[in-house]
Amino acid sequence: MEWVRLSVSAVLLFSGLLIFVAAAVGVNKFKRALNRMHAAALGDTLGILFMTLGLVVWKGISFASLKLLLVVLFFWLASPVAGHMISRLEVMTDEDLGEIEVEHREDI
Amino acid sequence: MSRLKKDYESSRFRRFEKWVDGEVSPPEFCMETRAPLKRIPPEELSGPRLNEEKINAQVYDERHNKELKIFRVVNKFASVALCVTLIGVLLWTVVYLPEFGNPDNPTNNEVAARYIEKGVEETGATNFVTGMILDYRAFDTFGESCVLFIAATCVQVLMRLDDSDDKEKMKKKQAEENDRIYEPKNDLILQKVSCVLVPLLFIFGIYIILNGHLSPGGGFSGGAVIGSGLILYLNAFGFKKTERFFTEKTFRRVSLAALTFYCLAKSYSFFTGANHLESGIPLGTPGAILSSGLILPLNICVGLVVACTMYAFYTLFRKGGM
Repeated sequence: MEWVRLSVSAVLLFSGLLIFVAAAVGVNKFKRALNRMHAAALGDTLGILFMTLGLVVWKGISFASLKLLLVVLFFWLASPVAGHMISRLEVMTDEDLGEIEVEHREDI
Repeated sequence: MSRLKKDYESSRFRRFEKWVDGEVSPPEFCMETRAPLKRIPPEELSGPRLNEEKINAQVYDERHNKELKIFRVVNKFASVALCVTLIGVLLWTVVYLPEFGNPDNPTNNEVAARYIEKGVEETGATNFVTGMILDYRAFDTFGESCVLFIAATCVQVLMRLDDSDDKEKMKKKQAEENDRIYEPKNDLILQKVSCVLVPLLFIFGIYIILNGHLSPGGGFSGGAVIGSGLILYLNAFGFKKTERFFTEKTFRRVSLAALTFYCLAKSYSFFTGANHLESGIPLGTPGAILSSGLILPLNICVGLVVACTMYAFYTLFRKGGM
C-alpha cells in the first residue's frame, strides 16, 4: 500500500515538474509577450496543482494538506487574473501585435 | 626623499595614469583618419522594431575599431574568469566553515541559549523570533520601523506632485487622464476577483500580525500582506474609492501614532540603559492571544507602519500623491 501511494505521488510530482519545465522553456523560447504569458500560465495553474497534489498524496491528508490546497486555490484565483491584466496592458501598449487578432470589448 | 623623475610627464606610469583618468586626447595616440562609413538609411534602422544590431554596428563601427573588438573578447573571458574565481573562493571558504548543526559551533553561545531557555518565561511569547525582535532587541526593530517611515518620507519628497499652482493642478489632472488611457481600469474580471481576495488578504494579514507572538509571522510580514491587499484594491477600483478611507492624512496620522506609541512604550528601557524594566503589563499564559505584555501592541504598530509604507510607495510611484 505504501509503495502505491509513493508511486502515485511520484508520478504527480514528475508530471508537475514536466509542466514547469515546459513553461520555462516556453517563456524563454517565445519572442512575443502574449505567447510567453500563454506558456507561463501553464506552470502557474496546472503545474502547481500537480505539485501540491503530489505532496498531499505523499504526506497524507492532514491540516497541512488543507493549507496546501488553499495555496492552490489562491493561485488559481490570483494568477490567471494577473495574466489577464498583463495581457490587456500588452494589447493596449504594443503597437505591433503581428498576426494576433484582438477583440476590443467595452464591458469587460 | 624620493627621487623625482625628470621626464615624469612622458613616463610609462604617467601615461597609464592619464589613460585611467580618461585624459588622453585623440591626436596623442592615433587620430582616426579613415573614410566615413556608408550610412545606413534611417528607414532601415527605425521601423516597428528598432534594429539594435545594425545601430550598434553603425555607432561603434566594430569592423574597423580594433580596440573595441579586443575589449569585447577580453571582457568575455575576464567576466567568466571573475565568476569562476568568486565561486572558487566562496567554495574554498565553505571548507573552513564549521559543520552545520554542530553543538560546539561558535554561534551556539550563551546568548542563543538564554533565548531558548528563558525566552518564553521572560517575554511570554511562544515564537522566539518575535520575543527576540520585539523584546530583547526592540531597539533594532524601532530603528527598522523608523527607516521605513523615513524611506516613505523621502519618496514623498522626491515623487510628490505639488498642487499649489493652478497650472500644476492642470498638469496633474492631465497626468491622471493619461494614466486612465493607458492603464486598464474598471476591469470587470479584476474587480470580481478582488471582491473575493481583498477581504481574505486583510483577514490573513491581521491574523499574521495578531498571532505574531504565537506562530511564525509578525508585524513586518502581516503588514506587507495588508499593504498588498490595499494595492490590489486600488488597482481594481481606482483612486476615487481608496481616497474615501486612505489619504495622505491617514498615512501621516497612522504612521505617526504607531511610531510614537512604539517609542513611548519602549523608550523607558532605552533611556535607562536597556536594563529591561518591567512594563507593568502581566505576561499572561504563553500561548494565549492576550499574552506576552507589550509584544502584541508593538506588533500591531509595526504592521500598521509597514502596510502604510507599502501603499504609500505604490501610490507615490504611480500617481505622485496619495
